[in-house]
Amino acid sequence: MYGKKVKLRAIFILSIFFSLILIIFLVFKSLEENVVYFKSPTEIKNLTELTSKKIRVGGMVKEKSINVNQSEVNFVITDFKNELIVNYNGSVPNLFEEGKGVVAEGFLKDRNFLTAVKILAKHDENYMPPEVEEALKESN
Amino acid sequence: MLNQIGNYSLYIALISSILIIIQSPILLNRNNINVSGRIFSLISIQSLMIIISFIALIIAFIVSDFSNETVYNNSHTSKPLFYKISGTWGNHEGSLLLWLLVLSIFLLIFTITSKNLSNKYRILTLFFQQIIILGFLLFILFTSNPFMSLFPIPNEGTGLNPILQDPALAIHPPILYLGYVGASIIFSSSLAALISGSVNKTWAKHIKNWVLVSWIFLSIGILLGSIWAYYELGWGGFWFWDPVENVSLMPWFCLTALFHTVLILEKREMFQSWAVILSITTFSLSMSGTFLVRSGILNSIHTFANDPSRGVFILCFLFILITLSVFIYFFYQNKIKNNFSKTYIVSKEAAVLVNNLFMMFFLSVVLIGTVYPIFLEVLNNDKISIGPPFYHKLIVPFMIPFLIFMAIGPNLNWIKDKINKINLQQLLFFILSIIVSFIFLKRVGISYLLSLPLFIASFFLFFITIKDFSVKKTNLSQKISHFGFSLFILSVLINGVLAKEYSSNMKVGDERKFLNKTIKFESLKINENKNYQSLEANFKITDKNNSINLKPEVRVYDQPQTITSEADIKSTLYSDNFLVFNILKNDGFYNVRYQIKPFMIWIWISIILISFGGILSIVKKNG
Amino acid sequence: MVKNIKLISVVLLVIVSFFILLKGLNKTNNYSPNLNSSKIDFNFKAKFLYSDEETTLYELINDKDFSIINIWASWCLPCRDEHSFLLNLKSLDKLNIIGINYKDNEISAKKFIKELGNPYSKIVVDPSGVNSIELGAYGVPETILINNNSKTILKKYIGPLDDEKFAELKLIIKNEN
Repeated sequence: MYGKKVKLRAIFILSIFFSLILIIFLVFKSLEENVVYFKSPTEIKNLTELTSKKIRVGGMVKEKSINVNQSEVNFVITDFKNELIVNYNGSVPNLFEEGKGVVAEGFLKDRNFLTAVKILAKHDENYMPPEVEEALKESN
Repeated sequence: MLNQIGNYSLYIALISSILIIIQSPILLNRNNINVSGRIFSLISIQSLMIIISFIALIIAFIVSDFSNETVYNNSHTSKPLFYKISGTWGNHEGSLLLWLLVLSIFLLIFTITSKNLSNKYRILTLFFQQIIILGFLLFILFTSNPFMSLFPIPNEGTGLNPILQDPALAIHPPILYLGYVGASIIFSSSLAALISGSVNKTWAKHIKNWVLVSWIFLSIGILLGSIWAYYELGWGGFWFWDPVENVSLMPWFCLTALFHTVLILEKREMFQSWAVILSITTFSLSMSGTFLVRSGILNSIHTFANDPSRGVFILCFLFILITLSVFIYFFYQNKIKNNFSKTYIVSKEAAVLVNNLFMMFFLSVVLIGTVYPIFLEVLNNDKISIGPPFYHKLIVPFMIPFLIFMAIGPNLNWIKDKINKINLQQLLFFILSIIVSFIFLKRVGISYLLSLPLFIASFFLFFITIKDFSVKKTNLSQKISHFGFSLFILSVLINGVLAKEYSSNMKVGDERKFLNKTIKFESLKINENKNYQSLEANFKITDKNNSINLKPEVRVYDQPQTITSEADIKSTLYSDNFLVFNILKNDGFYNVRYQIKPFMIWIWISIILISFGGILSIVKKNG
Repeated sequence: MVKNIKLISVVLLVIVSFFILLKGLNKTNNYSPNLNSSKIDFNFKAKFLYSDEETTLYELINDKDFSIINIWASWCLPCRDEHSFLLNLKSLDKLNIIGINYKDNEISAKKFIKELGNPYSKIVVDPSGVNSIELGAYGVPETILINNNSKTILKKYIGPLDDEKFAELKLIIKNEN
């Protein structure tokens, strides 16, 4: 009886220990794969190598740059220093407007061109997404 | 006038709070029954005062008293009455007052319903709960007082954020708070039980109700939030793994685990330390939820304007409470006698343990996904976000064993069961679910490596939970909740696999083909409403047999000026037709998104079933 | 012993996460861009709030040593909060306060000034918001301190002025020269 108790406890502790290690490993592997970095157009210009991973770009929608046709929305994100052309096929939020802050999530084709899969904007139009604000600030 | 009433009542509440905190340690050492009467009257006064101040704020909102700064900032005379009232808690100051209100009312209920428990335990619970109340009172009075006066008195307010002018979102925060605050009672009482050395069956029986109550409110609160996100955010999903959503999900995992642990504790007096740890964690997570949402530290799709000084206060308060509870736990830990000795691998206890492990795993995944961006930004200056793939990748594979355990676990006996109990009947159901999943996936034409086992596991759980209704052994509320959960998983899976989406830019009169349907943008008209103008579109969706009209709107609110999209959704038992449109630019194009979401309604129904199981369990016990 | 190790590690974890969250809290709200060298476009044209004449920034900032350009709107609540600071700054005689009224309607803008007082020597309007964006504004309120002689931005504040920023503004004006 006593032996069984100790054995059970040992198995229990060991299994918890190993599953913990496994979980930590999985979580960090998954984190590494699924993290989406946030950059400004200037930071993208200065990238040493292009990533094939998903990326978020934030800045202002340049004045008079939104161009709409049947299936696409094209526009330019600017941080007043560098610009990035965005090509997007999908629905846009209501606060998406020229001269307003925007965050585009997608894949870089080259240093000037992004194919977006999602466009985000903030609820409150008096405030900018903090990340956009900071990106703009840094490029200034 | 109302401002003064509100302010003074809050100060009286503050004084009673301090009095209670000073008195409790003195009363603790006397075993006089009468002494608790004095504390009881203080608590009643306190609750009364907080209720008065809350009513004062509601009245200020109803009569649009713009001498009150909160009302001025968040209301407008042209608003419908319902949103004037919901505006009371639709802002930072008011929502904190609501927190406080619920805290004190819950404490009052606790005091009344715990009369047959030991004096020491009751007073200690009151003491810890008062510390929390005191923290909130100080926070409200000194950093976010809802009763600030404005002079000169403006004659019009600036309006409520139109996003919040929505029935689901109007009642979503109070319900969620009921869940969060319920966790505070669990926290205080578990610390009290720990100190008074009464983490036992009686305590478990008593706390079980509170766990259930907060769990039910949290579930319904999350449900309302998702329903809102579904039709208001216009993305057609119901869960985005957004930090603000995650923050409400984490305490839910914790409470679910705690509830199962408490069941064991009630029957077999096991896992005491674990129950205490879970209680502390649940409340810490609820508080951090408030902190993360209110401080604006998270970049979320739905955070509102914020103020860092408030964040610092909540953060300090939160960590004082956590540190306090950690020290109390370690100091009094050896009062608990853990009996591991009689656990067998095949038993109900072990099954609950497995449930807890899974819950803790899901919890850690969500926690890491939520706070990792904050940590990385501080340590490394990288700005990142973590999207749904992270969560899906980590949660989905573990769902498979979890669902199978959930099917088998509840049918196991206490203490020790035989392995061959996992018997022929279950094997038959398992084979049945393999066949069903196989046929289903074949017909749908999807053969992911992962989706087959996932479907098998969820069909298995589904069948077993249905079958369990015929077994007399377990109680009905559990069957309903577990069945609800299996229905939930199944609907989410089918919804995920079969959902179809089409998006395009269209002008009025345009026609598009999508699958076997035709989408026609028929007309556009402008409606005038009390506090907004709306642009109502009319789309006609035609397929072989029938046609439906969908009329989504874009609303332009005037106070403050904001544009929102209202999706139009036609629900049937089989699927939802979801259509939303946005203004693109002035050259006539509108951004249109059409979605077919199968089994959407079953997701909502299943969550209601899950909560209903909980409600039934409380009603049955007390009735 | 084991208990102590557990306790210490839990407490350490708590402390570390406390400080990281505390730092994170300051980070998201830390607005002090360093813009010493940036030049601005002094040729933008705008109309006055109280007359229909057109003017350029060049004319606006001519007479004194320093200018503050303050972008505000009557619908912006933080602008209300910072207004007293602006009124206070009015007393500095080396300083010229110019208001840009951002995406506002004329009547409520005038009402705002009438209600709270006028700290500005001149107010121009920017109904479309384009001029403000060209100035590099992110939103309202925003305050830009300009050295009129060297035509450079000395300091830029995003968000409402508070005691700290106010003191800093005064200090900069005092020290420059």
